[in-house]
Amino acid sequence: MSLHDHPPFFSTWRKAYWFAVLLFAIEVALLYAFTIRFS
Amino acid sequence: MNNLDYIVLFATIIAIPLYGLWRTYNHPNLREYLKGDRSIRWGTIGLSVMATQAGPITFLSMPGQAYESGIGFIQNYFGQPFALIMVCAVFVPIYQRLKVYTAYEYLGQRFDKKTRFLGGFLFLIQRGIAGGITIYAPAIILSALLGWDLNLTIWLAGGFVILYTVVGGTKIVSLTQRYQISVILIGMALAFGIAVYRLPADLSFSDALGIAGRMGKLQAVDFSIDPSKRYTFWSGILGGFFLSLSYFGADQSQVQRYLAGNSLRASRIGLLFNALVKVPMQFLILLLGVMVFLFYQFEKPPIFFNQPSYQRAVASGHGPELAALQKQFDDLFEKKRVLLQSSPDTPNWSSDVQQLDAQSRAVRDETKKILEKAGANPKSKDSDYVFITFVLNHLPHGVVGLLVAVIFCATMSATSAVLNALGSTTAVDFYRPFRPGKEDHHYVVATRWLTLGWGMVTIAVASFCSLVENLIEAGNILASVFYGSILGLFLVALFLRHVRGSAVFFGAVLAQTMVIALFLTTNIGYLWYNLIGCTAVLLFASGLQATVFRNPEAASAK
Repeated sequence: MSLHDHPPFFSTWRKAYWFAVLLFAIEVALLYAFTIRFS
Repeated sequence: MNNLDYIVLFATIIAIPLYGLWRTYNHPNLREYLKGDRSIRWGTIGLSVMATQAGPITFLSMPGQAYESGIGFIQNYFGQPFALIMVCAVFVPIYQRLKVYTAYEYLGQRFDKKTRFLGGFLFLIQRGIAGGITIYAPAIILSALLGWDLNLTIWLAGGFVILYTVVGGTKIVSLTQRYQISVILIGMALAFGIAVYRLPADLSFSDALGIAGRMGKLQAVDFSIDPSKRYTFWSGILGGFFLSLSYFGADQSQVQRYLAGNSLRASRIGLLFNALVKVPMQFLILLLGVMVFLFYQFEKPPIFFNQPSYQRAVASGHGPELAALQKQFDDLFEKKRVLLQSSPDTPNWSSDVQQLDAQSRAVRDETKKILEKAGANPKSKDSDYVFITFVLNHLPHGVVGLLVAVIFCATMSATSAVLNALGSTTAVDFYRPFRPGKEDHHYVVATRWLTLGWGMVTIAVASFCSLVENLIEAGNILASVFYGSILGLFLVALFLRHVRGSAVFFGAVLAQTMVIALFLTTNIGYLWYNLIGCTAVLLFASGLQATVFRNPEAASAK
């Protein structure tokens, strides 16, 4: 079974994945702000 | 350590496995033994995945890493959230749908038996040795500083783990990891609080961070594209992604954790939890190292944290040279302390402090050279001893016992997952195919014996680890040498539908041989082996499929 046999894998949970990416982006932005503030 | 510390230590490391045995002891079938009884929820999965990844090195070495080089190491984890999302989207549904016990079983279903054996074999070699290093690394540090017998420490950390993992299988591993990681987080939070509390009373937390920042310890994110820089945003995203994808998608010690979930949803939420929590957790651990660094700006640190090595060098006749360096170190420390207590608005304050800090480091480097000359060269970096020295010398009794228990809990949780995976992979991918059709109970007993056997192997590896020069580095190199090829096998399986078993098998063998040859003959940074091995498998497999194995019938006839 390869990914081509079951393409819907990417479409399910799409909102959850984008939400995770968004939260991670916020984490990195906060870390960058921390770097700027204390460097 | 006093009696209170020993009580806290032994109560913690014994109570958790005993509770786990009480909660999980039954006569499981093979599915229950390898995957749990479908009662494990996302919270336990999340903590279990976290505990498997965060071994003792994380808690011993990371604060020391921040002490020496600042918190830039955090960027190495930036690729992990993306890798975990890909694992959730691609790997987990396939494993769940095929109802596999091990990741390598999937390779067997997608390709053939020999590719399954190759994937399993590469995993067993790499993890079998790495498991020994996981036990040895904290044992050598704790035995050196506490004066314990090394072999006794290895057995203390490894013995309990072997016992409860053999008896309880996956369910006890997940359950004990939940409590072990809780102890670890509580212990590290306490250490953080005490480190902040022990800073000078007239220094606010914000001022303390300001000093650390001016001394170059708080650069968390660096967008530089300079390849000579070790940790940058870009290397973290790219290198961290491949390393994490291989680790979470194709390493059975992690796959087994999330396959124990009571549903696909539980596995996914447990993994996404780690995608979001890992970076903040590592940030706080690194920040703890910065707090220890600040503490030692006002309280004189030892010139060399690994004092047993230092004392061996003194005893071997290098006392006068070391005493001269100690004098220089003390003078520099006093000058730096006076400067740090003056106003940061003084002209050239930052550059003067940084210069004194660099001079102190140069004196420490000179000390290390003398230790090497004296044959007292330690088996791990001096920074690995920073945090535990702070714990043993400056934390109150009781908390010291708890922090030593944290190191043991981290060792036990990481090792139990590895033993569970090694036993399962050997039983499911190597034993069962050659002894098919037996009763379920037969395979459970076989898996238990194989787990016990792997336990003995890891203890034996730990006992011979003293032959390795820098053991923590050795663990990372070992993983990087094998992970690339293993990930390559899975990426071909998932994304290159036209590639068949023989092409990917020989492609992976070629790629692995090439990586080992590169490792033996060149000085490439070891993290690159992940990318080289993975890319080589994809290219070789595609190339072989397009040429040598173009006709499937001809390929199978060979």
